[in-house]
This record gives sequence, C-alpha cells and structure tokens, in this order.
Amino acid sequence: MVAAPGISGASGGGRLHLANVRERSLLTAKIRVLWVVLGFAFFTLTAFARIGQLGLGAAGADHGAAADALVPPRAEITDRNGMPLARAFPAYSLWFNPRALGAKGQPLVKTPEEVANALVQIFPDLDHDTTLARLKDGNPTYLRRRVLPEEANKVHALGEPALEFPRESQRFYPQGSLAAHVLGYVEEDGHGKLGMEQVLDARLTNVAHRAEPVALSIDARAQGAMEDELSRGMLETHAKGAAGIILDVETGEIIALASLPSFDPNRGDLARNALVFNRASNQVYELGSTFKPFTIAAAIDAGVVTDLAVRYSAKPLKIDGFTIHDSHDFGASLNVPEALIHSSNIVTAQIGDKLGGQKMRDSMIALGMNARPTIELPARGFPIWPKGEWPRLRTMTVSYGHGLAVTPLHLAVGYAALVNGGIWRPATLYKVDPAHAPAGRRVYQPATSARIRQLLRLIVVDGTGKKADSSGFRVGGKTGSAEKAGSNGSGYRNKKAIISTFAAAFPMDHPRYVVIAMLDEPQATQSTSGQRTAAWNTAPIVGRVVPRVGPMLGVVPDGHRDVDVSDLTPLVANGDGE
Amino acid sequence: MNVSTWRMRSIGWIASLLVCAGLVMVLAFRVNALRSQVHQSDMKIVALKQETIYLETEFETRANQQQLKAWNDVEFGYVAPTAAQYLDTERQLAAYAKPAEPGAPSPVRVASADDAVAAAAAFPAMVSPLTGKPVDADSAPAGTPAAATGASAKRASVADAGDAPAARGHAGAAVVAAAGLAGLGDRLSTVRHADGTTATIKKPVTKKSDSAASHTRAALALAKKHGGTTTADAKTRAHAKADAGAQASNRHTAKLHPALAQAGHGAMAHKPAGAPVITLALRDAKPEK
Repeated sequence: MVAAPGISGASGGGRLHLANVRERSLLTAKIRVLWVVLGFAFFTLTAFARIGQLGLGAAGADHGAAADALVPPRAEITDRNGMPLARAFPAYSLWFNPRALGAKGQPLVKTPEEVANALVQIFPDLDHDTTLARLKDGNPTYLRRRVLPEEANKVHALGEPALEFPRESQRFYPQGSLAAHVLGYVEEDGHGKLGMEQVLDARLTNVAHRAEPVALSIDARAQGAMEDELSRGMLETHAKGAAGIILDVETGEIIALASLPSFDPNRGDLARNALVFNRASNQVYELGSTFKPFTIAAAIDAGVVTDLAVRYSAKPLKIDGFTIHDSHDFGASLNVPEALIHSSNIVTAQIGDKLGGQKMRDSMIALGMNARPTIELPARGFPIWPKGEWPRLRTMTVSYGHGLAVTPLHLAVGYAALVNGGIWRPATLYKVDPAHAPAGRRVYQPATSARIRQLLRLIVVDGTGKKADSSGFRVGGKTGSAEKAGSNGSGYRNKKAIISTFAAAFPMDHPRYVVIAMLDEPQATQSTSGQRTAAWNTAPIVGRVVPRVGPMLGVVPDGHRDVDVSDLTPLVANGDGE
Repeated sequence: MNVSTWRMRSIGWIASLLVCAGLVMVLAFRVNALRSQVHQSDMKIVALKQETIYLETEFETRANQQQLKAWNDVEFGYVAPTAAQYLDTERQLAAYAKPAEPGAPSPVRVASADDAVAAAAAFPAMVSPLTGKPVDADSAPAGTPAAATGASAKRASVADAGDAPAARGHAGAAVVAAAGLAGLGDRLSTVRHADGTTATIKKPVTKKSDSAASHTRAALALAKKHGGTTTADAKTRAHAKADAGAQASNRHTAKLHPALAQAGHGAMAHKPAGAPVITLALRDAKPEK
C-alpha cells in the first residue's frame, strides 16, 4: 500500500502526484481482479477437469469384472448329465457379534440363557452348553456355519442385534447325502476332504479352470435308485451296512457307487464321523460264492474245463484236516453249470484244485485282486492277499471266495472283465468318452466270456439268483453269502454274521452294466422269508434296481430277446442252493 | 476495416473451434454415459444370473432324489415301465390299431388348418399354355388323361379311395366325387375313380356368382359318365349341392366341401363319419338304392 500523499505544495506537482496515485490504485485494483479471475478460472477448470474425469474415465474397462463375479470360488462338480452335485452357494451363517450394541454394556438384550434356549429350539442339533458358553464368552464367533433362510428368519425374530447372519459363499450339495462318499466334503479351511473334493482340490480351486464344472461318471438318478433300494434292503434285513456299485463294462465308468449308512456333506462336523467310511471301495470282505465264476472262467480259459457235462463228486471234501461243505446236499455229483446254479463249494474247489495254485493266483492278479482298487478316490482298501505260493487248501478256498478279501469295487471290475469279452479296465469316476475308453488288458478269451454270460444268466433263470430276474432286462449274476471271519483270525465262529453279495450284469446278451449289491450282516426277517442268504436279500435289491436304472441308462427291456442258453439247459436239473 | 475483418475471422475460427470442442465433449459424455449404462446392465445381468443360480440350487435342493423318492412313495406311486410298455418299431405300434367296428363312437374332430387355402395354393388355375387364358371346360374332350399336377391327382384319388371301401355304386361314387369337386370350387379339374378311369373336367375359372352353374356342370358330367338309374337323382342332388356351394362361395367361406372332407377323412381314418356336418353331406350325396 502506498502512503497517503501530502496535498500541500505546488499544484502542478500535486496533480501529477494525484494522477500517479490514481494510476497505482487502478493497477492494484486490476491485479486484485486478476487474482479473483484466476481463482475463479482455477475452480472452473478444476470443476471441468473433474467433470471430464467423471464423464470420460469413471466407467472404465471393467467389463471383465462383471463376468468374474460369476466365477465361483470353487468349481462345480456335476454328474454325467450336468446335474450339479456340488456348487458354491451364498448360504447364511449365524455369527455372534457382541459389539453390535456398542462396545460397552451387555451384548445381548435378553439373558444368554434365554437366547441359548431359543437357539436350541430353532436348531435342535445345536449343543446348548457350547452355545451358552460362546454367548457368555463375549468374543465374536460363528454359532453355526450354515443356516437355512427360514431359520434365519426365526433367529431374526428373536430381536437380538448381536446375532447376525452374513451371507458367505459355501460349498453346497443340493442332493444332500446322495453320493456323499464319492463327493466327499469341504473343510472350513476351504480344502476338500475324503472324496473327489480332495482328489480334485487343486483343479477346483485353480483360477484358470474354476468357471468350468467337472463332470463325474456318476449318474445322479442311478445313484439315487441304488441308494434307495440298498437302504430299503438294509432296513428290511436290519443289516449293519450296505454297498452298491453300477459300473459300465465297456469304459470302466462308475455310474453309481453307494456306501450306506451315508452322511450329509453339508454338515460341518464330519471330521471324526464314522459314517464317512466307504464300504464300497475301502472295506475288504471275503465275498464268497461270487468268486466262483472267476474260477470257472479261469478253468475254461486254461483248458482245464473243456466239457461242461463232466460231473464232479459233490460229497464233502476232506483236505489237510479241513472239510469243504456245501449248503445243502446236492446228490452224488454235479456238472459245472449245476455247480454254479446250486453254488457248490465242493465242485468249485475241485476245479480250482485241477487248475492249480499258480494259475489260480495268476488269474486273480490279472483281475487286480492283489492291489488296491483302481479308482481316483483316496479311500481304497488293500486286499487281504495270501502271500507267497498258495498251498492246495488255499487255492481251493480262494476258488469259492474265502481266504482272499477284496473290496466290492474289485468284484465289480472283475465281473466287468468276465462279461465284456474278457477285457479288464480300471474303474474311473471321470466321465469317459466311449470312443476314448482305456484299452485295458485281456484277462479271458472272448469265448470264455460268452460262456460265462450263459452260465450267469442260467444262475438267474434257474438258480439262486431268481429274485433278480427283472422281466425283459436279461439279468445274469451270482449270489454270494460268506460267513464273516472273526477278528484276529479267530475263524468263522459267528455263523450268523454273513456278507451277502449279489454280483450281476445286464443285459446278458450284450452286457452294458455290472451291478453289485452287498449287505453287511443281514438278519433273517419276515420280509426275507426268514432267510439270510443273498438269494433272499441282495438278489431282490438288484432285481429292483435294474428296472429303475436300465431305461435311464439306455437299456430298454425286451421280453423277446435273451442270451441263448439252449446248449446248457439239457445239462441242468433245476434246483436251489447257495 | 482490415483489422476488423481479421478479428472477425479469428473470432469465427475460435467460435467454431469452441463449438467443435463442445460437441466433442458432449459426444464423449454421451458415449461415457452409455458405457456406464452398459456397465450397470452388466452388473444387473450378473446379479440376475446369481439369483438364477440361487433359485436353481434351491429348486434342486427341494427336488433332490431323496425328496422325489419320498413324494413318489406317498403321492404318486410311479414305477419303472415294464418290457410290455416299450415298442421296438412302427410295425409293432401299427399292430395295435384295428378298424373301427360298427356302432363305434365317432372320432373326435379338432379344428384344422383351412384346407381350401392349401388347395388353392396347390392347384393353380388351369390356363392354356398357348394363349395364357383360362381353359374352357367344354372344349376339352372328357376322359382323356389331364395334364394335372401329381398333387391334384393324388388329392382326387384320396377322395375316391375313401368312397371305395364304403361299397357304393359307381354312380354314387361319381356323385360324391362330383360334390367334392363342387366343394373344391373351380380349381380341381381331374378326378380319378376307384375303377381306374379318369375324368377330366375343364372349365373356365368362373367368378363367384357363376360357381353354382359350374358346379352343376361338373357334377352332371361325372354323373353322366357313369350313367345308371340314379343319374337323375344324382343330378337333382348335385344341383342342390351346387346351390349350397354357391351360397358358401357367396359368403366367402373357404371351407373344404363337406363331401370331400368326408371322403378325404374317410380315406385316412377308415372310419364312418359321425359329425353332423358330415352326415348332412352324406345324405346329400348318396344315391338312393
């Protein structure tokens, strides 16, 4: 600011001075205006820049983000027809947030006891004491991992702001306990356990492949039918457990694999649950008479049995201080078809003896009976395989399915090789393109396989498998009722504890599927006519499963078609046995 | 003046530059607004897809295998189909069919597409290949094979085949065929009879008001060809039919003539007609014995 000029003095100089002052004041004013204008200009430019920024750049190229939102955190698992068996699902969970009503004061409106009681009423399986402890503890925690929308509404109605239900992406199994042993479950750390969830863990969580679902070989409808009929059979016979398998004989795909009792993979507390044990692929059993067709096939293949009409003695066989019996007395002698139809241990043992220990052993090794079953599942039981050279008695007992314990899956794969023309293929849970089915290895000659198909069909038409003969499906199969060996090699003391198995294939004129049904310790009940053997409990299961799954799997029942057994029928005198 | 011009020009340039810049801005903003709309729509689509997955999962959960089985046990009781419920071939299916017995209930008729429209499309009006004018019915000699299209011949033979099993006289067949002709209007020119002879009726394409006369002519020509004692009777009935046909034409209804409809349907279904319309047509066309 310029100091006020004096007015006294010469008038000319004073005027000049005044003009000077005016000039300066004007300049000052101009400069101030300029500043203001600059200020306005700055704000205007900033505003325009912001508008421009918003207008031009806000909705950038985040096109992919929208699509990314649809990619699940863990890939879906579907059945062979694309039905989802496991998927990511934004489910509610129940979360206790003690700070919901502010950091100070009580976290709950009502007393913890009242809230705990109310929660237990909504969730009857919730442990009251644990819940109460958590509510009293005052730390934020999950009260429950998965809550249904209805339940969430009920919890909401309690009027407790501290009980929150955030939506979290969780692993969900829409089919519940269906195929639980095949699928497994996902632990809270996000990693799969037990079934294909564990096997495919890396693939399912891989960012590059998460969007594409993984198709298993399972057919959910067939699996449902299998589990349903098995559980019915289990309830009817008060059995401890059951296992069932449906296997494609040409590709080795497992269409259904059931182990009962099952579990619900949607539950979070499965880590130490006994039900996760897989009876179909992990538990080994002496499967008894279902092994007889293997012996006969090996004998036909090796040229030991060339004439099916040759008769063998059916009198109890004494060997090394051990007597081999049959379930009934079938007369003085039996030929091979009769031995299978009546399920004669004595005749099969003689044929096994004729075949010899080495060949018997080789044929079992060829069927993979000396190793864990070939399947992706981590639950694979190691067979009880007699080491070293087999003595005569061992050969004989193995010939009718004792002294060698395998899983039901071993049996299914073996039967597939028996009926499909003699090719052994590994079982798989992945969907297989029929054109690229594994080549497998030849175990039996095609002619042997054809003969075995006739014999298996005869067993169902005339023998112990009559109750499995679903009209039009040309089922063939073999029953097996083996006494369970006691623990620590204590022998077969408990005569009432048996493993009842029916191994079947259909349609026998061109086999497509092997069906195995097994019951663990079935009891004699009214619904099985007071019988415990496979002819009365597992054969009917197969007889009910086949008509239910056949049409869905592309096998149309046809009453005018069957495998030709006319060359064998003259050799057979009808009758029953086990 | 020079300065002013220069200034004016520069102001003009600046103004146009500003206008262009403004337009570019507006365009850019619009593009961006659209882009954000697209983005919003994207988000909406994703939200809806997620909702779909959610609902689908809920549906699959509520309708899972075990639940369906429980419902079936309690409510429906469906069982797997038996072998007898499957058919291998069409032959097996055809084996189940049998001709209707006397007194069988009439087959249920449902509304169908307008046959006359199809007929008009299938049989174009007969014109002389030389003159391009409509062919006169009287000028062509009766009984010669007509240059009819395969479709029309087939159509006519279908009409007659329906009559043949009904064991009517030749004259009756002729009348029915003639009545059918009348119903089809002016389009149909050739009728092949059950006995193998072929009648050709050539006539000009008449206007709607003339159709009665032409129908009568057509009917008469056929009836005359087969002769017999029923000619006069057939003639009168054909007249009546033709009148009815004319009325129908005047009303511009384009329905297939009842008689032909009867013949055609009979040929396909091998069943006597029972619908009131058809009964009327039969009474009209059938000669009294």
